Amino acid sequence: MGLAQNVIFGLVTGSYIAIAAIGFTLIYGIVNMINFAYGEYLTMGAFIGILTVGVLPLPLPLAAVVAMVGGGLISLLLARLFFTPINQTGPVPMLLTSIGLGLVLRNGIRLTAGQSARYFDTEAITFRFDGLPPLSVGSVDLLGGFFVTSEQLIVMGCAVGVFLLVHTLLTRTDVGIAMRAMGDNENLARVRGIDTQRIRDSVWVLAGVLAALAGVLLGIQTNVSAGTGFSQILQILSAAILGGAGSPYGAIAGSYVIGLVLALSTAFLPAGMTGISSAIAFLILIGVLLVKPSGLAGQEVREA
Amino acid sequence: MSLLDVSNLDAGYGDLQVLSDVDLTVDRGEYVAIVGPNGAGKSTAMKSVFGIADRQGGSITFDGTDITAHSPERVIHEGLSYVPQTENVFPSLTVDENLRLGGYILDDVPESRREAIFERFPVLADRGEQVAGTLSGGQQQMLAMGCALMLDPDLVLLDEPSAGLAPDLVDEMFDRIDDINEMGTAVLIVEQNAKEALRRCDRGYVLANGENRYEGGGDELLNDEEVRRQFLGG
Repeated sequence: MGLAQNVIFGLVTGSYIAIAAIGFTLIYGIVNMINFAYGEYLTMGAFIGILTVGVLPLPLPLAAVVAMVGGGLISLLLARLFFTPINQTGPVPMLLTSIGLGLVLRNGIRLTAGQSARYFDTEAITFRFDGLPPLSVGSVDLLGGFFVTSEQLIVMGCAVGVFLLVHTLLTRTDVGIAMRAMGDNENLARVRGIDTQRIRDSVWVLAGVLAALAGVLLGIQTNVSAGTGFSQILQILSAAILGGAGSPYGAIAGSYVIGLVLALSTAFLPAGMTGISSAIAFLILIGVLLVKPSGLAGQEVREA
Repeated sequence: MSLLDVSNLDAGYGDLQVLSDVDLTVDRGEYVAIVGPNGAGKSTAMKSVFGIADRQGGSITFDGTDITAHSPERVIHEGLSYVPQTENVFPSLTVDENLRLGGYILDDVPESRREAIFERFPVLADRGEQVAGTLSGGQQQMLAMGCALMLDPDLVLLDEPSAGLAPDLVDEMFDRIDDINEMGTAVLIVEQNAKEALRRCDRGYVLANGENRYEGGGDELLNDEEVRRQFLGG
């Protein structure tokens, strides 16, 4: 496989990480906490989608909508039960609570849904582009033909749709502008008459909706099991920090950097070293933080 | 009856008490200054009116409504707005977005009000798309005051508006405050620049160690021997 093919893989991975990372980074910036249970939100969204398709049964796009609504509500419910009551205690107790909550959710899902991987039964159409000639340098092909499946196009298309909608929300609506304002200065937001608890609730719902969509897309693209979301949380976290924690635009950029690095390092590292490809994403993260602690988007990474 | 009536106010932060038994009134359309040395509790007085400092005793009424227990997001609905001394704009939001949040609690801000604010602070009209964090200190102060005026409040609380401004801007800032007051908005100002504030205001309070010390007309305080010696540097 050539470079072009691996860039496609990287963009697909970057796409669902980005959808999730936007929600993660908004929680970080506005609720001021690292939500380590967030990976489980992806898993729950994916399972709601699979259940809706299998039991009701609804067509996949409708099931995705059901999953997003369910994900939003669950996220709000969990926040009200576990995070809102300890909002004043600071970031560390909230982080620890979320680690515990994630553990409970993960094993709860494992108990009810079992250990096996599930997937959406979709029929993928594959588009092949074999016209590109290989451009070999040693054993590495720097160009080459590639293919893209309809599933991959759906993942990338959804991501672009999400970016546009989130951008519109954050720059054109009162709720969105209030969210950004709270990220800047919560006390001043209150002085302006902003009901900060309502805005926090909105952020939880939005983050839950995005996580559920990312989970469903992950299920379409590969498969989901109880540990799926958890296996993504470090990538999501790295993407958010790489982009400048709290900045949704930075998180998008960070996600594609992570996605591309994962895909390219898997493809082009010598055979014996592919095991460290996921570590390379973190090496880049460390590198960026050493050179530019504020992340790609330039916003200050605050104490957490 | 006064527009703002603070009586026997004890206030501070958590267990720390900063103010004890402070009385303070502002009439409709009046321009009132609070002056005093550093640490006298001037800003705390203002913050407790707005519900940011903790009220520990006494009462605060505004326009006949008891606001002693109001949170900031409720106080703003009563017809007063507050310009904090620092961090008084949202740095990552544009000038337009900051102004929009100034009128957040209103369903609709009349266009004429925006126009009036732009007329008073022309720099804001020219820089609508600029991110507030990149404005100069003086421009940010103008923006903060513009935001507070979006509600056309009966009373505006200004916490050290001249702090950190270049000397030539300080005069302009005080002129703008005079304008706001002449349009009928009552002003309560806390100032480090005591002489200038007393010169401009109708009435003043001198606070020291968290207690009322002197009270009177602005010129009266300026010319008072004791006040001059103790608080105005002779």
